[in-house]
Amino acid sequence: MKPDQQIPRNALVWIIISLFTLVAPHAERLPLWVLGVYVFAACWRIMVYQGRWSFPGRWVKAGLIVSSFAGIYFSYGSLIGLEPTVALLLTAFALKLIELARRQDGYVLLFLGYFICITEFLFSQDLLIVLYSLLNVTLVTTGLVAMHRPGENQFNRKTIRLATVMLLQALPLMVVLFFLFPRIGPLWTVPIKSHTAKTGVSDFMKPGDISRLGKSDDVAFRAEFSGDIPDAADLYWRGLVFSVLEEGAWRSVRYYDIPAAERRPGPVETSGAPLTYRIIMEPTQQNWLYSLRYARATSPGVMAGSDHVLFSPTELEDERLYSVESWPDAVLDPTLSQWRREVELRLPQGENPETVAFARRLRAESGSDAAFVDAVLARFTREPFAYSLNPPLLPGRNPVDAFMFQSRTGFCEHYAAAFVVTMRAAGVPARVVAGYQGGEINPVNRTVIVHQFDAHAWAEVWLAGQGWVRIDPTAAVSPDRIEWGLERALAGEGSFLRDSPLSLLRYRGVAWVNMLRLRYDALTYRWQSWVNGFNREKQFQLLNDVFGGISARKFILVLIGSWVLILGPVAFGLLRRRERRATSPSDKYYLAFCDKLSRVGVTRAAGETPEQYSARAERAMRPMAEQIRQITRLYTALAYRPAAVADGRLNTLERELERSVRNFRPGRR
Amino acid sequence: MQGRVGRTAGPGLRHRLRQRFREWVNRRIPAARAVTLDQKRIFIFPSRTGLFFALCLLVMLITAINYQNNMSFALTFLLATLFVVGVLHTYANLSGLTIRALRATPAFPGQQSEFSLQVERGRQRDHFGLHLKWPGSGDTWVNLTDQDMVQVHLHMAVGDRGWFSPGRLLLESTYPLGLLRCWTWIDLDLCAMVYPQPLACPELPGLATDNPDGAAIPIAGSDDFYGFTDYREGDSLRQIHWKGLARGQGVQTKRYAAYADRSVWLDWDMFAGMGTERRLSHLCYWALQFESRDQEYGLRLPGLALEPGKGDRHRDRVLQALALHGIQSRPR
Repeated sequence: MKPDQQIPRNALVWIIISLFTLVAPHAERLPLWVLGVYVFAACWRIMVYQGRWSFPGRWVKAGLIVSSFAGIYFSYGSLIGLEPTVALLLTAFALKLIELARRQDGYVLLFLGYFICITEFLFSQDLLIVLYSLLNVTLVTTGLVAMHRPGENQFNRKTIRLATVMLLQALPLMVVLFFLFPRIGPLWTVPIKSHTAKTGVSDFMKPGDISRLGKSDDVAFRAEFSGDIPDAADLYWRGLVFSVLEEGAWRSVRYYDIPAAERRPGPVETSGAPLTYRIIMEPTQQNWLYSLRYARATSPGVMAGSDHVLFSPTELEDERLYSVESWPDAVLDPTLSQWRREVELRLPQGENPETVAFARRLRAESGSDAAFVDAVLARFTREPFAYSLNPPLLPGRNPVDAFMFQSRTGFCEHYAAAFVVTMRAAGVPARVVAGYQGGEINPVNRTVIVHQFDAHAWAEVWLAGQGWVRIDPTAAVSPDRIEWGLERALAGEGSFLRDSPLSLLRYRGVAWVNMLRLRYDALTYRWQSWVNGFNREKQFQLLNDVFGGISARKFILVLIGSWVLILGPVAFGLLRRRERRATSPSDKYYLAFCDKLSRVGVTRAAGETPEQYSARAERAMRPMAEQIRQITRLYTALAYRPAAVADGRLNTLERELERSVRNFRPGRR
Repeated sequence: MQGRVGRTAGPGLRHRLRQRFREWVNRRIPAARAVTLDQKRIFIFPSRTGLFFALCLLVMLITAINYQNNMSFALTFLLATLFVVGVLHTYANLSGLTIRALRATPAFPGQQSEFSLQVERGRQRDHFGLHLKWPGSGDTWVNLTDQDMVQVHLHMAVGDRGWFSPGRLLLESTYPLGLLRCWTWIDLDLCAMVYPQPLACPELPGLATDNPDGAAIPIAGSDDFYGFTDYREGDSLRQIHWKGLARGQGVQTKRYAAYADRSVWLDWDMFAGMGTERRLSHLCYWALQFESRDQEYGLRLPGLALEPGKGDRHRDRVLQALALHGIQSRPR
């Protein structure tokens, strides 16, 4: 093999390091055996390097490829979708290491490495992931640099320096390109994240669903209000409206079950200034968007359902930013259509007979629907109902009966469901609303952080003249939940984030940990809104603001201008004639001495020997003659008679010269 | 018919283009003993790997567009601009280097001559993976890291008698990223002397000697050993008393009795009627013969006479005279 084809050992080490740092962030999504392939590949390659094993033959390679394809297929159940594709790519990446023999293989491997960095971004564009990927890019680039240093067969830590320098020089150019490059829509549809779990509130609700979310400290979304933040007790983030109770689970009315005339939300009269805010949702793999009622989205691509909830036509695979205006006091649906009334009153036949009978009795005793609502809530307050994250399981056919009259312990979804069943049994239209309630206000940037444990379910009751009215039965049982959040509400039970001992939220009491967490959260919010939210509209707006109009000519001028501005100094630094350094320390000291003399007018002529120069200087500056002679003597001893200077005395002489030159202060004439 | 015309025109056009390019390079990078590389002399273009990398970038860009993923855009642009920054770094790896021609060893036609160069750096920066090569020579890769200069020896088969010019030296490098190829063609003023091809002939036709009677002197049996003398510069290595040297007696040369009085003149006129090259080839053959027999010989060419002598230095002078006979000067 030609020397330029060999991969120096230094490069091999860097490549193996970058291999493992690249796969690390993917590890959580990969089957364990893929990580095994990485270890196996690295061991094999090291064995090849040591000459104990040889490179794999053609059939071994084919076998490895086929078996990893099969492995991916069996692990994921298919080869289609983003996760299996990435897993395949990562496995190929590891296998390529085994046959890394020539430089060409190295190129393929490292370019694949760059691509693997990109695939990580398809799953997360978190700030930490981005910083980590920057490290990965640096390592891969270092591998590339190391490959072009023939004969470097020792691991060299310093190789990373050039890669870092080059990337730092490229970074400002990249920023310019990032903002100027025209953003166009997707060219074709691409594999989606089919294997990523849906998170957050799901599209149907069984008892226990919301309490499961109550155990997670992940962030669901962050909201930033342009004005004051409403009270925590008023922050009811509506996501889904469940109108249908079927087989013990609540779900929304299906779009195609709605009569065509009612598929769009009815008109809502609004008055006064709205609350304006914007929300950045974490990816959920679902369509729901959260908002305060009554909400109108001001961002494009947000739809409104017939029950006044917002949703996105595509699933949220990445963070999603949208702006909303809300009128909390607007009346929703002042009149109810016949179809709608029937839907909102329907109950499965023959279930929960005790609750039905109780509801009818209580309604008959109450004067109005509103009074009936109060009476039911009063019962929740009066009777020994308890609020718990871990309620007992409710038996089969009549869960509401079991909850209302026996266990009397439940999480918000139990109360909401029981309340709605009670209302409907008495002929009052009612439905369950699922979403989040409350949120943590980050004092750093005044955003509301809504966590998964803020997930909540409540009820809406239709009252004549008032439309849909929000009723939260949980508030009657546990006012703390609404006023202070889940942590306070569960203080007695001690179940808040019991299963996540590492969650930073558990250490909210420790001031500096909490401050750090909130600061990082504020940074994340800014990152998400600035970088992830940068799209075509933002780009147009930004370029319009900065350059006052967009034209191709301006684009090219700005691009070229900024690049010249950035690359000019880089080129200057790289190509300027730098003289070879003065070699010995004694030369350096002597030059400093000449410098000092030249400042007072005695400049050393070209070709003048130290002795001649010394004689001239002594004549010019009588009082300093002794010093000048001394320095010249020391220097000549060091420079011209190194053999005569014993090793031990060399350092002494050098130090003496340094000191004499330092103390030599020719006064200005 | 048309295709045929095209085919004949093709190579002609290519030839003319190549000719034009060569002329342009000759004007741009004239021949010199030492060449310092600057922007006038360095060419840079994406390498094949660079084109492959560009293809990879395109795939990344399409991924970023299709997933509307801003960080993927950012990374793609970062790598694209890394490519751009790489232009400067690749260029800087060649810029400021000085290539100095040192020497070329003389050789017989068809044999390898060693061309020695020195690569020096002009600034305090490391240079890696410098690839040097003449068309037809072997390849060398050098780094300039710890030392300021490095000597390079390239071997190449030489052509006919006279001066052999190796052509333009290729100096290229793809360091640091391999995405760009930076190269230059240097015409170093370095030529190898090519001796005539020795051509055996059974005997010397009319042997001219110093002997008054003009009779032929038997050449064989001239190696009557008579003693040692101290080594003097120019003595043949073959006659060094190696065994004595190994025993630590210093460098001594074996002396033979016969040669002092049996000197031979190799004369141009001995091979009358033959062509110039053939005459020179025969003279060369005999010069080597006498040298190997350790016998003194002189050379007479039109306008030149070398007194009889022997030893490496004498042989080189004789061979040089033969090599350059009838050749005015070095090429160019």
